[in-house]
Amino acid sequence: MGVMFEQCTDISCGNIFAWLNQGPLTLTIFLHTVIILPMIWIYFSEKKKLEKKN
Amino acid sequence: MAEKKASVWTSISFWRRSAAWVTGFAVILLIFLTFDTMKQIRMGTDEELAKGIKRRIPAPTVVNYKIDYKYDEKRGLEAPVIGPEKQPLFGKELSPKEAAAMLHLGKLTVQAKNCMDCHTLLGNGAYYAPDLTKAWLDPMWEKTMPAMTGAKSKEEAMVKFLMHPEKYPTHARMMPNLGITEKEARGVVAFLKHMSSIDTNGYPRGFSKTAKEFETGGTYAK
Repeated sequence: MGVMFEQCTDISCGNIFAWLNQGPLTLTIFLHTVIILPMIWIYFSEKKKLEKKN
Repeated sequence: MAEKKASVWTSISFWRRSAAWVTGFAVILLIFLTFDTMKQIRMGTDEELAKGIKRRIPAPTVVNYKIDYKYDEKRGLEAPVIGPEKQPLFGKELSPKEAAAMLHLGKLTVQAKNCMDCHTLLGNGAYYAPDLTKAWLDPMWEKTMPAMTGAKSKEEAMVKFLMHPEKYPTHARMMPNLGITEKEARGVVAFLKHMSSIDTNGYPRGFSKTAKEFETGGTYAK
């Protein structure tokens, strides 16, 4: 129970990285999300540009 | 002429924009983390210590307090517990200035005598001799060393051992006499006591005070 959201037990809980570093939502998943999602957006915007050119 | 399908994967501008985003984001994140780390590793103050405010690295006056090492159920690791009882080093309570000076002398001695050639301090050094990160909390200094050195207290035993380590057979690998003076040895003891009060997220893992008779680890496991 309560696996997804657990109370922060790190010594510095005021820090967002302390929250991201525990439980299933790890820092790695967070970083991949913020890096990959904008790349998807860049992909489609580039695709649109190329199609317009042709 | 057949219509040419545009591929984004071979477009230079897609990769350029992606690289710019990843690099830019990483730079901003690293700058943020640098400042955040600086805030977290800042040494605490004497007032914070007196009020019981927890910091990763407490003020040098932590040597005036009793330091315990307890298992934290929530964090799932052992953490230092400072005070509230006092336990002044060598029986004399130090002012913030005196404590800082003593710690500084200890640090210089540890560097000058190159303790890290054999020991590990906060993850840095060698594994030839015992890890010193939590050395102050090692029960050996209370159980066997005072009797062996003929000292009255734990800290006096540490000083005697540091000055003449070749006299006391504590380990198969004996520590050599490094020519440490009494004043320097006292500084090293203060330095070690302060280091044991640093919250290292349960590091070193093998060091365990609560493990029954140190069956699962500890610096001098049976």
